[in-house]
Amino acid sequence: MSEGPLLAARAVSRRFGDRVALHPVDLEVRPGEVLALVGPNGAGKSTLLAVLAGALAPSGGRVEVRAGTAVGWAPQRPAHYGRLSARENLEFFARVEKVPDPEQAAARLLDELGLADDRPSAVLSVGNRQRLNLAIALLGDPDVLLLDEPTAALDPGEQRRLWERAERRAEGLSAVVFATQRLEELSRIADRVAVLVDGALVFDGSLAEHEAMPVESLFA
Amino acid sequence: MRPVWLMLRKDLRVLRRSPVLLAVLVGYPIVIALLVGLVAGYANAKPRVALVDEDGLPAVVTVGAEQFHVDRTIRRVSRDVTLVRLSPDEAARELRNGKIVASVTVPAGFTADLRGMVQSPRLELRTTQGGLAPRVTQQVQALVYSLNQQLQEAYIKANLRYVDLIRHGGGGSFLGRNFDVLGLDGTARLLDQLPPEPRLKRIKSFVRTAGLALDQTDDALRATANPIRLVRAPDRGRTWLLSAQIQGYALGLTLSFLALLLAAATLASERDENVIGRLVRGPVSLWQLVWGKVVLAGAVGGLLGLAITLAFGAIAEVGNVEGGEPWGRLPLVLAGVLLAGASLGALGALVGALARDTRTASLVALLLALPMVFLGLVPSEVVPPAGWVSDAFPFAHAVRLFASALYDASPWRTISVQAAWLAGLGLACTALARAAARRLLL
Repeated sequence: MSEGPLLAARAVSRRFGDRVALHPVDLEVRPGEVLALVGPNGAGKSTLLAVLAGALAPSGGRVEVRAGTAVGWAPQRPAHYGRLSARENLEFFARVEKVPDPEQAAARLLDELGLADDRPSAVLSVGNRQRLNLAIALLGDPDVLLLDEPTAALDPGEQRRLWERAERRAEGLSAVVFATQRLEELSRIADRVAVLVDGALVFDGSLAEHEAMPVESLFA
Repeated sequence: MRPVWLMLRKDLRVLRRSPVLLAVLVGYPIVIALLVGLVAGYANAKPRVALVDEDGLPAVVTVGAEQFHVDRTIRRVSRDVTLVRLSPDEAARELRNGKIVASVTVPAGFTADLRGMVQSPRLELRTTQGGLAPRVTQQVQALVYSLNQQLQEAYIKANLRYVDLIRHGGGGSFLGRNFDVLGLDGTARLLDQLPPEPRLKRIKSFVRTAGLALDQTDDALRATANPIRLVRAPDRGRTWLLSAQIQGYALGLTLSFLALLLAAATLASERDENVIGRLVRGPVSLWQLVWGKVVLAGAVGGLLGLAITLAFGAIAEVGNVEGGEPWGRLPLVLAGVLLAGASLGALGALVGALARDTRTASLVALLLALPMVFLGLVPSEVVPPAGWVSDAFPFAHAVRLFASALYDASPWRTISVQAAWLAGLGLACTALARAAARRLLL
């Protein structure tokens, strides 16, 4: 595998009508790194992740994905069908994403995330729905995992297990990009931090460099 | 096509998990169809018409030599209206408040004119203003036509009695005066008693010819009184409930609500479930997402349409209805139902894409379906603009296609034209829905 980025945003911007959600952003995601996207509400973190995931088309610039790289995405609000069970959701999205052997892939993730529940996913607890959201993102064993505020609805135990899973993935050549407003999570797992404010990328550096910055200036 | 098939399977599974929603989707249009049927039935019901008797009609009126029992005659000729006897004031009040739709006044002197046979007696008609007035006028005209027919018979008989007097002689009366007539027969007898001479021969020839001519008076009078007679054939057509038009309306109406609501709600629900981003970043394009809903509407509409057609067919068979159900046309009807369902589904998908959330989409679909259906029920010959607007929606074309597919002897031309309309409208709505579906990603 080459040393180039797995995923890169090249002058990516996004507008919603007259509103600019994302000014041109350049960002690379390299193998084996855990990149934290931080910034206040409305900074453009979710928009950038959705554009990187291919769920939103950029208004300008382009997203480059290294050939053969699979990208998984867990949006901030769980994205699955409430009237289908966790298993049915996983099997459906596995088929849509052409994952080989959808039943087996779904069974493995159900077991791994402790989601063996045949009830409609709408009646699951908030935490379990978030886990199902993550499980769908993990279908097909992606090389880059994009997580949008993944711990927002999880209890401390679930948060710990999530970060352990993310660390295991990053130990290989996979990469994890996660958006968060919880600065305490950065030191737990992040290698690199990118800061977005008002849709503009104002910082992209190591965790140590970020820790040297006055935090208040970012969230003012 | 694989993503469309996957979406369809998923939607059918979700639908199966929502029995209440499914029951409402199927039951609601059927209830609406029944209500429309009731309204149509009310439109065919007998209107209430007042009979205002200012002449003091006697129980029995004699016209010529015929006796008419007034109440019995009124009952016989007023099959299409319910006649109620009211005073002039009551009739005026009820006409104002809409309790009656018309009043027929028998003015003073009516019976005298009728008996006199010199001038036509008059009836006065007053109707309410608005939609029912033309129909009530027609029904009262039909009532007067029936009365005239009865009276014509009496007049013809009276006239024939006078002809008979001229022909054979005897006693009679006119306007209260009695008279005695020699008649052609008596004239011939007197002429036979006179001595022969050439002028007498000519008179005898005239009397004979006049007698022969007067013998034809009966048929001639009847023919000139009724140049055209309407005779009701003994065999009857299909019952109103099972007519081609009603079956077409029932299918079209049910499909309209079902397909429109289903496609609109399921497309909008993809956004409510927040899954559109997940779908479009994979191999499901926005085109396929919209097509999935169009196919879903066509498939579910097809199943319901088949059930309705079978139900009509069963009723026709069990009731031994004249003409029976055209079972051989079932494949044609089913193809039409699938096409109409898909076309209406495309319109629903457009609503779902524009409305963006399930509740709004369902409400808008319902609000759109009602006027679309009612516009389609307005005869375009009566209100041409309603026909033009209705042609811009699939409902009217679906109804014409179903009615033609069911009972037209040569349905292909109508089916081709209406299928082209449905396909064109469906494709246009699908393209617009695809364009609007970008909003679902925001």
